[in-house]
Amino acid sequence: MKKYWQITKTSWSNGFVYRLNFIMWRVRTIIWFFTIYYFWVAILSQNDQVFNYDSQTLLTYVIGTSFLRSLVLSSRSVSAGMEIANGDLNNYLVKPINYLKNWLARDIADKALNLAFFIPEMVIIFLVIKPPFIFPNNPWYFVAFIVAALIATLMYFFFSFLVSCFTFWYPEHNGWPLRFIVFMIIGFLAGDTFPLDIFPAVAQTIFKILPFGYFMFYPMQIYLGRIPANQVGLTIIIMLAWVFILYKISTAVFKKGLKVYGAYGR
Amino acid sequence: MVAKLKTYWYYWIKSSELTLVSLVATRLSSILFITGKFARFFLYIIFLLVLKDKIQLVAGYSIDQLITFFLIFNLFDLLGQFLYRGIYWFRSEIISGNFDYRLLKPISPLFQIMTKHTDFLDLPLLVLVITFLVKRFPQVSPIELLHFGILSLASLIILTSLHIVIASIGVMTTEVDHTMWIFRDLSEMAKVPIDIYVEFIRTFLTYIVPIAVIFTFPAKSLYGLIPSPTIFIALAISLTVYFLSFKFWHFSLTKYSSASS
Repeated sequence: MKKYWQITKTSWSNGFVYRLNFIMWRVRTIIWFFTIYYFWVAILSQNDQVFNYDSQTLLTYVIGTSFLRSLVLSSRSVSAGMEIANGDLNNYLVKPINYLKNWLARDIADKALNLAFFIPEMVIIFLVIKPPFIFPNNPWYFVAFIVAALIATLMYFFFSFLVSCFTFWYPEHNGWPLRFIVFMIIGFLAGDTFPLDIFPAVAQTIFKILPFGYFMFYPMQIYLGRIPANQVGLTIIIMLAWVFILYKISTAVFKKGLKVYGAYGR
Repeated sequence: MVAKLKTYWYYWIKSSELTLVSLVATRLSSILFITGKFARFFLYIIFLLVLKDKIQLVAGYSIDQLITFFLIFNLFDLLGQFLYRGIYWFRSEIISGNFDYRLLKPISPLFQIMTKHTDFLDLPLLVLVITFLVKRFPQVSPIELLHFGILSLASLIILTSLHIVIASIGVMTTEVDHTMWIFRDLSEMAKVPIDIYVEFIRTFLTYIVPIAVIFTFPAKSLYGLIPSPTIFIALAISLTVYFLSFKFWHFSLTKYSSASS
């Protein structure tokens, strides 16, 4: 445990070494926020209610997903694909270290760093643009939201690691082509730009079956109290089941991948 | 002059040909990249169509008009990537010192780095976007078409200029990727008309980083929403930005340290 804590600490320090990179990344997240936020403000300025969302609820959803993007979707495990493709994985295989735990430790540092910047950024944004924002009526919804957000973080970590594992079979471009498709669709399917319940019932059924909606949409539905209290527990159980499934698949695929691993580039 | 143009034309054709060969050689990757681009495009269109069922207007524009703005955004965004994808590889040349070799050749180094990777993977979607636009505007008045033509020219000039500025920043600071991505993110703001943003952001996107001139103005001209004087002002702005970007490029070269070479 101690060695992984050390990896987290080193990874945190590493973030401060490449300050310009990190600051530019944060600038990008602020641009994303404004792009989505003002789009919905424009819609809501001419429509009091959109898809059963009033102005306050919808804009809180946008702010909430911005928080979840910093927590859930920020992941360094993207680079695992690169390490597999160029043979750097060898460095880990000869050490008494678990590759998955290593990436989890690095991810924790990255997420902490992102949140450390997200909070002051949001304070400034709140002071400047004064967005409407609602807090849950029931504090238990807030607690359930935090729990759901943490589970979503784990879910995305295993999913992202799984995507990286496909590099074992297709190392071209460091596994980037598959990752590119994931990047293109993940935001849409997770509900980062708009709530998924604006879509027709059939699409919503599909979203419910897929794991992606649980990255952002369902945690935000819990926060907003749009999931009945007696179903919050069930939603969290479904998310935990996804964590288990994704963990099992990603570790199994990693083990299988090691059998075909040729340490190219070494 | 003609001989020089011929040389540049031949260089572009040759480097594009080599890029195409490499893209064909990595077929599966190319298919996956194209699939990703199409997925992103159609998912956004689906989102707009879902909005259309419930919403009449957004900042005074109908959803049909928003779709046009999105198509025009894609048109110029894809053109920029198709022509100037080479900029994404520029950082590695700067930090390795390989840019020295570009400086030694009797062809503009700027032209070499910007056009070294014509991205044919953007072509299928580009063709689709153009087809959609032609189908949506079967009968545009000649004057609107002229306005659109002039603004498209201004748009391409500014697009080129901003790529030159990004390359110049790269020479001076070795930072290219994030600057490029910030430019791309700012461009994404123009998926919808920039009128939806607050005054400060509108001013920034029109006069500081003229994203609005690249993406929003041509789309507006198709609906006759741009007065004639503004069109010529936009062209003047684009030529000024182009001139200044070259000045900045030449200045940046004086700061090139040839690191690692």
